[in-house]
Amino acid sequence: MDENVGYLVAGYAITAVALGGYVLRLLARAREARRRADVVASRRRG
Amino acid sequence: MDVAARGLGKATSRSGERALGIAALVAVVVSATLSLVVAPPDAVQGEVQRLMYVHVPAAWLAYLSFFAVFVASVAYLKTRRIRWDRIAAASAEIGVLFTALAIALGALWGKPIWGTWWTWDPRLTTTAMLLLIYLAYLAVRRVVDNPSRRARWAAVIGIVGFVDVPIVHLSVVWWRSLHQQATLLRIGGPEIHGSMLTALLVGVAAFTLVYAYLMTLRLRVGRLEERAVREALSPQVGELEEADA
Repeated sequence: MDENVGYLVAGYAITAVALGGYVLRLLARAREARRRADVVASRRRG
Repeated sequence: MDVAARGLGKATSRSGERALGIAALVAVVVSATLSLVVAPPDAVQGEVQRLMYVHVPAAWLAYLSFFAVFVASVAYLKTRRIRWDRIAAASAEIGVLFTALAIALGALWGKPIWGTWWTWDPRLTTTAMLLLIYLAYLAVRRVVDNPSRRARWAAVIGIVGFVDVPIVHLSVVWWRSLHQQATLLRIGGPEIHGSMLTALLVGVAAFTLVYAYLMTLRLRVGRLEERAVREALSPQVGELEEADA
């Protein structure tokens, strides 16, 4: 096996973690923002 | 310009976002298969050359992201519509991610091929400057509280900062550089094996779909965060905006 294959594996792993991690972070931010807005709105109404 | 904004609005609907997410995922799987299985290893560099199928698309998408920041910044200064500022902010954040990824992947390729993780080569140095410029752009957005002032200052940085993009691209032509010259956009056409070229072009297309998906998601986050602030500050305005959406 190519002795440099570790760099290749690391590169694809970093790409997957960076893009996947960013998507998960954005989904978490969206959930949190919606929750915050809903809490304020429900307190005001109720 | 309004037509473009309306088109973007349709793409950022939840169903549009989901469809883009699925398309991006499929494209990434196809790209990974072509890059890691179908394309042959490089005759000189071996397996590590396959990093180019992610490094080059990441660099191109960084350019595209900052071009979108530039266009949206000009549109904001012209129209003063906050929607353009939201688009610029979203694209800058994603552009920083792609730039950092391109630098990291280049370093991983550089260590076995050049014998070093980093060198103060013109292409590498101007790319590092690009990352710093857009990190400064994001920092300014965080420190300025007034929304219209923040949008105005950010738009100016988004326009001036874009000057570095052509400098990065042409740095290998203007100065003596260790980095290789353009592979695709060269006089006489690309000089790489057909299956390698296909893997590279599919990689660029897949990353473009990923960018489009990240933009829709990031714009939704921006809208939700603004709604949360509006609800907290002015309940009536928040309710009206929510009803409009």
